Amino acid sequence: MKSGYLYTLLGLLSFSSLGVLHKVADVKQCRPAAVNALIYGWSLLFSVLTVMLIKDSTPSAPASVISIAVPFGVAASIAILAFQAGIRHGDIATSWLAINLSAGIPTIASILIYNEPLSFQKTIALLLIPVSMTLLFIDKRHADRRREQSEPNAVASGRVRR
Amino acid sequence: MKRDSGIWLRLMLVAFVSNGLGPFGLKILTERNLSAFQPQYLVYWYLGGAVFGLIAFLKSSRHVAAREVALGAAMGLCSLCGQTFTGLALSNGVPGHVAFPLTTGGSLFLVAAAGIFLFHERVGPYGVAGIILGIVSLILLSIV
Repeated sequence: MKSGYLYTLLGLLSFSSLGVLHKVADVKQCRPAAVNALIYGWSLLFSVLTVMLIKDSTPSAPASVISIAVPFGVAASIAILAFQAGIRHGDIATSWLAINLSAGIPTIASILIYNEPLSFQKTIALLLIPVSMTLLFIDKRHADRRREQSEPNAVASGRVRR
Repeated sequence: MKRDSGIWLRLMLVAFVSNGLGPFGLKILTERNLSAFQPQYLVYWYLGGAVFGLIAFLKSSRHVAAREVALGAAMGLCSLCGQTFTGLALSNGVPGHVAFPLTTGGSLFLVAAAGIFLFHERVGPYGVAGIILGIVSLILLSIV
C-alpha cells in the first residue's frame, strides 16, 4: 500500500510537471504546432518501447482497436495544439484548469451513450464546470482590461513591460 | 503579442471539447471487451495524434528548434509517466476515489501555484473562485 501512495505522488508530480512545461514552452517561445507534433512523436516512441520492452508484447492490434484509437488520438492532439496556442493569450493557472475540466465530457458521453446513472454528486460536479469556466473567463477579461489600462501608463513613465 | 480574452476562450473551448473526447475511446474499448489491448490502443492513440500533429506542423514550417525537441520529449515523458504511475498506484491497492482526486485535483493546485509563484501570474478573485470550484468539480467527478 505504501508503494501505491508513492506511485500516486509520482503521478501527481508527473501531471503537474506537464502543466508547468506547457508554460515553459510558451515562455521559451516554442511554436504550438512544433510542440504538439513533438509531444505526440516522443509519446509514440515511448509507448512503443513500453509495449515491447515492459509488456513484452508487440504493437500489433485488431483493426477494431485501431479504428477506435486513431480518431480519439487526433482529438487529443487537436486539444494540445489549441491549448498551447491558447496559453499565449492567457495564464497557465487558469488555462490548465479549463482543459482539465473537460473530464466532464466523457462523463456526459457515458451517461448519454451507455445510460450510466446520473448521481446527485455527478450532477453537482457537471453543473460546477460551466460556472467555473465562466468565472475564469470573467477573470481573464478583467486581467486584460487591467493590462490595457496599465500599459500606456507604463510606457509613458518609461517602465519596462514584463 | 496582445493577449486577447476572446481568442483565449475560443481556443480553450476547442481544447476543452477535444480533450474531453480524447479519453472516451478507452471507455468504448472497455464496453466492447477489448481492454486487453489497452497498451496497443495507446500506441495507435499516440500515432493518430502524431500524424495530425505532423500535418499541422508541416503546414507552417519544416524545421524544429532544439528547445522544442527537448521540451516535447520532457512533456511526452511526463504524460506517459503520469498515466503509468496512476495505473501502478491503482494496481498497488490505492482506491480510485483516492488516486484520481489526488492526481487531478492536486495537479490543478500545483500548476496554479506554479503559475502564481514561479511565473508571477496574477489571478483575481473571480479566477480564484473559478479554480476552487473547478477543483471541487473534478474531485466530485473522480470519487463518484
